Amino acid sequence: MSTLLQNDEELLERLRKHEVDFVIVGGLCVAIHGAPLVTKDVDICCRLGTENLRRLESAVKDLHPVHRMTPNKLPFELDERLCQELKNVYLRTDLGILDCLGEVSGIGNYDDALRLSVPCLSGRFRMLTLDGIIAAKEAAGRRRDIEAVYLLRAIKEKKRNV
Amino acid sequence: MTTNEQVDQLNRNYVCPPDAGPAWRAACDYGFDMSLVEEALKMTEEERLIDHQRALNRLLQFTSDEHASTE
Repeated sequence: MSTLLQNDEELLERLRKHEVDFVIVGGLCVAIHGAPLVTKDVDICCRLGTENLRRLESAVKDLHPVHRMTPNKLPFELDERLCQELKNVYLRTDLGILDCLGEVSGIGNYDDALRLSVPCLSGRFRMLTLDGIIAAKEAAGRRRDIEAVYLLRAIKEKKRNV
Repeated sequence: MTTNEQVDQLNRNYVCPPDAGPAWRAACDYGFDMSLVEEALKMTEEERLIDHQRALNRLLQFTSDEHASTE
């Protein structure tokens, strides 16, 4: 696989077509809200459990998905135990990195993220609201997250004043 | 003929608009180029996604080139 490839939109489209329940969070959400920051992965908050994880598996199965955090890059192949016990799924695929989070700091689980989400990209997907992504980034608290908060607050203020 | 005012404009860094609020000024003071935010906010979400993809491709290409040059 090319080390260069990261196709965010195609990854998201695959998830949508396979009816994966997810909300866009993380750096891509920050960028779609208008902050000129670049992220190297797609972060989503998704519903955990057998049904949704199986949909996720179907969506990426022909993309040579591997658990990118494991030393041996274990292939992403689900069994019942994994469906019950996985808390997060950190994948590398032929279309790039896809991090699927069961919970997001400052937000909660998928249902919480869904409540704090809005449609985006012509209604094809959902992403955290400005307030939601600000809360998530504040909770994450790393330097790059705090930097994003500066921009997100400025964008929120600008939109309020338009 | 270029005027003195034009030269001043070209040499000036980003200036917060007079109606900029405290959050906008804080981001500006932190060091962000807020003109990029202004441009992004004029785009549609789709355009922002494309813009992000282009920036990411450039970053990955640069990283790849750097990696290759050190091997």
